[in-house]
Amino acid sequence: MADLITASGPSGVPVSSPLESHIVAGEFGNLAYGARVTLAERCGLAICDVQAWPGNTTRTARAIGKATGLPAHARGHGVGTLGQAFQYSPDRWTVIANQAELAAVIANAVGDGGSVVDLSHGRVVLRLAGEKSRWVLAKLFAIDFALSAFPVGRGIGTCHHTIGVQIQRVDRQTFDLLAHRSLARALWDALTRAGEEVGGRVPDRT
Amino acid sequence: MSGYRRPSGGKIVERGKTVTFSFDGKQHFGFAGDTLASALMASGVMLVGRSLKYHRPRGILAAGVEEPNALVTIMGPDGHRAPNVRATELEIYPGLACESQNRFPSLAFDAMAASGLAGSALAAGFAGKTFMGPTFGLMKATRPWMAYERRLRRLAGLGRLGTEPDRGRSQKMNAFCDLLVVGAGKPGIRAALEGADQGKQVIICDNGATLGGYANWSGDPDISAMVTRLQEMDNVRALTRTSVWGWYDGMTLAAAERLTDHLGEADATRPRQRHWVIRAGHVALATGALERPLVFADNDRPGVMLASAAQRYAAMYGVLPGKRIVLFTNNDSAYATAIALKARDANLVAIIDIRADVPEAAHSMAAVAGATLHTGHAVTGTSGGAALDSVSIAPYRLETRRTAGPGQDIACDCLLMSGGWSPVVHLPAQRGDAPVWDEHLQAFLPPPTDGNWSVHGAVAGDFEFGDGLSPAPAPVIEIGGHGKAFVDFQTDVTADDVRLARREGFHAAEHLKRYTGLGMGTDQGKTAGVAGMTIMAEALGTSVETVGTTRFRPPYAGVPIGTIAAERHGDLHPRRFTPMHDWHVKNGATMRSDGLWERSAAYRRWNEEAAQASLREARAARRSVGIADVTPRSTIDLRGPDAARLLDHVCANTIADLPIGRTRYTPLLREDGFIWADATVCRLTDHHFTVTARAGQPTPMLEHFEFFQHCGGTAPRVHLTCVSDQWATMALAGPRAPDVLSACVIDTDVDTRTLPAAGVVHGRIAGIAVMIARPDRPGPFGYEVRCAAGHGLDVWNALIAAGEPFDIAPIGLQAMETLRIEDGQLAASEIDGRTTAHDLNLDGFVSTTKPFVGSAMMDRLGLKHAGRHALVGVAAQKGGRLLGGSHLVASPDKQNPGASLGHLTAACFSPTLERHVALALLAEGRARIGQTLYATDPLRSGTHIAVDIVRLPFLDPAGGGGHG
Repeated sequence: MADLITASGPSGVPVSSPLESHIVAGEFGNLAYGARVTLAERCGLAICDVQAWPGNTTRTARAIGKATGLPAHARGHGVGTLGQAFQYSPDRWTVIANQAELAAVIANAVGDGGSVVDLSHGRVVLRLAGEKSRWVLAKLFAIDFALSAFPVGRGIGTCHHTIGVQIQRVDRQTFDLLAHRSLARALWDALTRAGEEVGGRVPDRT
Repeated sequence: MSGYRRPSGGKIVERGKTVTFSFDGKQHFGFAGDTLASALMASGVMLVGRSLKYHRPRGILAAGVEEPNALVTIMGPDGHRAPNVRATELEIYPGLACESQNRFPSLAFDAMAASGLAGSALAAGFAGKTFMGPTFGLMKATRPWMAYERRLRRLAGLGRLGTEPDRGRSQKMNAFCDLLVVGAGKPGIRAALEGADQGKQVIICDNGATLGGYANWSGDPDISAMVTRLQEMDNVRALTRTSVWGWYDGMTLAAAERLTDHLGEADATRPRQRHWVIRAGHVALATGALERPLVFADNDRPGVMLASAAQRYAAMYGVLPGKRIVLFTNNDSAYATAIALKARDANLVAIIDIRADVPEAAHSMAAVAGATLHTGHAVTGTSGGAALDSVSIAPYRLETRRTAGPGQDIACDCLLMSGGWSPVVHLPAQRGDAPVWDEHLQAFLPPPTDGNWSVHGAVAGDFEFGDGLSPAPAPVIEIGGHGKAFVDFQTDVTADDVRLARREGFHAAEHLKRYTGLGMGTDQGKTAGVAGMTIMAEALGTSVETVGTTRFRPPYAGVPIGTIAAERHGDLHPRRFTPMHDWHVKNGATMRSDGLWERSAAYRRWNEEAAQASLREARAARRSVGIADVTPRSTIDLRGPDAARLLDHVCANTIADLPIGRTRYTPLLREDGFIWADATVCRLTDHHFTVTARAGQPTPMLEHFEFFQHCGGTAPRVHLTCVSDQWATMALAGPRAPDVLSACVIDTDVDTRTLPAAGVVHGRIAGIAVMIARPDRPGPFGYEVRCAAGHGLDVWNALIAAGEPFDIAPIGLQAMETLRIEDGQLAASEIDGRTTAHDLNLDGFVSTTKPFVGSAMMDRLGLKHAGRHALVGVAAQKGGRLLGGSHLVASPDKQNPGASLGHLTAACFSPTLERHVALALLAEGRARIGQTLYATDPLRSGTHIAVDIVRLPFLDPAGGGGHG
C-alpha cells in the first residue's frame, strides 16, 4: 500500500492554494517611501520533511545536498541551484524544490538510512523580501535576524502566536516562511498587517 | 498665580506653529512641542486636578514621568476615553480634547472637597476600618460595610474608563542588541557612543521627545554635538518617547514607544504605540534621578512645584511657572536652578535654605539670581485657595528639627522646592536585588551589578550640579507645622498617616504601602518613596536603611494593556481553514470555532434556524447520505522500522499484527491507567502508519509519541510528522454512502468484499488519488475519503455531485454531535481525563496480551470498582429537554433531589428516536440500566426530568430499533 501523496503522481488537476481567494495583488500600507517589502506565495513547490536514522546523518545530508544542488560541505543546509534545505532539529531537515519527484529522489538516495515525508500539500511557502523584511519579521518572531546571527541559508522553527512557522533566509533581504496550510491565511494577514507600516507590495499571481 | 510664556526661548517648542486644544471644554493655545502641562502653564492655568481622597485642588508638580497630580483623561473623537494620562508627558496636537479628573461638578468647584473637613476620619486605613462594626446592635460586625460599600466603591479610583474600544493600533517588536542604554541624557549618550565606537549594535531609549535629557535644560554646551554624532551612527537605534518599563528574566527588557500619540489623527497604517521586547547583551543604565519634594503643611497647593521642573519648563518650553518665585531647598542643586531661571528672566524673590551653613558658591549664586537668601530657615506653610498667595517661613534648627523663632510671610505665586535627588533605581531593583541606602546622598542607589549591566551618571549617584555644589542634602525631609503635609500627592498620604501606620503596627515598608496606599498610585510613588521611608524611620527611631524599600515591580510607568497585547487579537487571532472552507461559507454554513479551526456548525436553508438545519442534516444522514468535512482531525504520520513497535507500546489495542491496508481503533492511556485520547491507526505499509484522532490533538499526540519514542529507547527509527494539513478528509454517513462512492470512484471497488469494515483502498475521484477507509467499529460515518489537501475542493465537489441523486446533505458540527450521541461515540466530554477504558465500555479495544503505556496501572482495584461512573445512555421519558451538565439523581422531588449519581456529558434531540437523549457518566452505571432516574438542572433551566437509563448505542448497529 503506497503513500497516498507520492503515489498520486501528476494528476493534471491544478493544485489549489489556500490563499487563492485571499490574496489581493497590489500595494498596501504606508507608501510614503514606496513599497519596502514584497510578499508573495511560492506555489507549485515540492516540500519534504526528512529524517536520518541514528548514524546516517552524513548520508542523508549528502542526499539532500544532491537533490537541491547544494555543495557537499553545506551538510544539507542552504540555498542550492535546484532547491533549498535547512536542518531544523537534530537529524531533521526541511527541503524545498521545484521538482515534483523530490520526495522520491531523496528517498531513493537516503535508502534505509532515513525517511522522507512529502508535505507539498500540507505546507505553504511565503516569500518576504525587501529592505524592511527584517523589520516586519521582527514584529512577529523573537528571532535575531541580523545577518551575523541568522546568515543566508539558515533555517529555524519558531512561532507567531499559535502559528508554527519555519523561516529560512534566502538572501540578505529575502526570507521564506513555511507554515501549515490551514494557517496560511492567518500568517498572511499577520504579515501584511505588520508590513503596513513600511508599505508593501503583493505581486500578481502569474 | 499664573505661569506665563517668555517672549523667546524654549528649546523644544516651535513658536511658528500654534496648536489649539481644549481642557475641560475650554479652548487653549500652545506651540507645537508643548506638553499639556507646559501649554496650560503658559496659559496661566495652574489648577489641573483634584486629589484622590480629600479632593484638594492640585497643580503641576513635576515635568515628567514622576508627575502625581496633573492626570487628565483624553477624549478621543470616537468616544474612546484614555484616563490618567500625565499632562507632563502628553504632547499637544491640534484637536486634542481632555478633561480633568476626580471632580464634581467642575474642577473649580468640587462638591467632594467637603471630604477635606472630615479630618482624621479619612486618615490612612479608613477604608479598611469600615469593615469593622460594633459587636452588638443592628450595625454589628460587617453590616455597616454592607450599608455603604456601594457608595465607597463609587468614590474610589482615579479617572473613568469609557466603554468604547481604543481604535489605536499597537504592535510588538522583538529586538536584539549588544548594548541597551536606558536614558539618553549625557551619561547615556556617552555610554552609547562608546559602545557604538567599539562596533556594538546599540539601542538607546529615552522617555522624552528628544535626546539629551537633563543636559538639554541645564544648558550643557556639549550635548548637541553628542546627539548629532549619535544619530549619524549606523549601528545605533535611538528611540525617543520610549519608556523602558520592565526588566525580566535574563537580559530581556520591555519598553513602550509612543509613535503617533503626539500626532492626534494618525495615519491608520502606523501603530500608535509599540511594545518592544529587547534582548540585550549588556544594559547601561543612565536613568538619572528624580528630584524630591519637601514635606510641610499645605505643600500640595497649586503653585508649589519641584525646582528642577521649573527649570525644565523654562528651558525647554520658554514657560515660567510664576511671577514671584520663592525657592525652598535642603541642598545645593537648587542654586544652579536659580541661576538657570534667572537667565530666563524669572523673578526669584527668595531662597529658603534649611541649612544654616551653605557653601560660598551658593551665596554667590543666590546673589546672581537676585534672590534674598534665608539660610537656616524653612517653609512652614502656604496660603491661598486654589492658587498660592504666600508662604510662611521661620528659622529652623537642624539639630532639633524644629522651628526656632517667629516667622514671616513672603508673598509669591510660585514655590519651588528641592528635597534632594532619588536615583531611578527601578529597573535593576526589579530583578530582585534591593537598592542600597547611601547616607551621604540620602538616597537609594542601585544594587551591586553582576557585570551584565552598568550604571552611568546620576543613577549611580554621580551628580554634576556645578563647581562647589554638593549633591548631598541636609538629612531633613519633613518640616513640622499645622495642616496636612503630603508625602504621596497622588494617594493623599500625609506624614501623619505614615506615623499612624507606625502606631498601628505597620512598620515594614510593604505594610506601610498597603496600609496607607503610599506608592500605590499610577506614579508608583516616584516622588514619595524616600520621604515616606524617612518619616517611618524617624518614627521608629531607626535608619532608612533598616526600613528599606518596597519591592520594585514592572511597569516603571503605566503601559496600556492594549500596547502589550499588540495586534494578536480580533481579526488577527489565528484561525485554521480547511480546503473546503470557502465552499462551506458560500453554501450557507454558519461557521463556528472548534479550537483554532473554523468549522461549519450547520448549513441553513430556507430561513432555517441552526437547530432546524442540524436536525434536517442528521435525518438526511440516517435516511440517505450526509457528507462532513472532517479535515481538522489530527493525523500523525509514523514511518520507520520501529514504527509498529512504538505504536504497540503507546496504544492499548494491539497494533503489531495489524495487516497492511487495515485500520484499528485504539484507546491511548496515560501511565496512570486513565484514558486520555482515542484514535484510529491505519497501516499503509510494513513500516508506515497513520494515527488519526479528534481535532486539536496533533500536538499532544506528537508529544506523547515522541516522549515514549525517546524515553523508551526502543524505537529510535521512527519518523513522526504531523500531516493533518496534508490531507483533506471527508466523511460519508448513511445507507446511500456506498452508492455515492460507487458513482464517482474509479480504479477500485468499494463493495464490502473489496472494502470491508476496517479496510482501506486507493482509488481516484475526479482524476485525483484518494484513499477510502472504513472504521472497524460502528459509528455514524461509514466511509472516510482522503486526498491531497490541494485537491480537497475538487474531490468534495465530485462527491457532492455524485450524491445529488441521493439528496446528499452536507452536515455540520451540530448534526455530527447528534449522530455521535445516537451512536454512543466518545468525545472530549467523556474522555475527560478521569475515565478509564473500562468506564467507557472500551474493554474490547484493550489488549490483555501485551504491556503498553498505562497497562500496569489500569487494573488497580479502584479503577475496576463497580461503583465507578460508567458510560450509559439516557433517554428522556416525556419529551423533556435534556441539557449536558445536568446531574442524575434518584429522587423525583425537585426540591430535594438528593445526591448526584452522575452527570450528562452530552445531550441532543434525536431526530431518529424523536426524543431527547444523552450520554452520561453514572455511578454503578451498568447496573442501573433499565432504571428510571431524574436529570436535574437547578441552576440553569430549573428542570427535573424523568429519564430512562439505557444501553449504548441508542441505535442498533444492525439497523434495528433503538434502545431509546
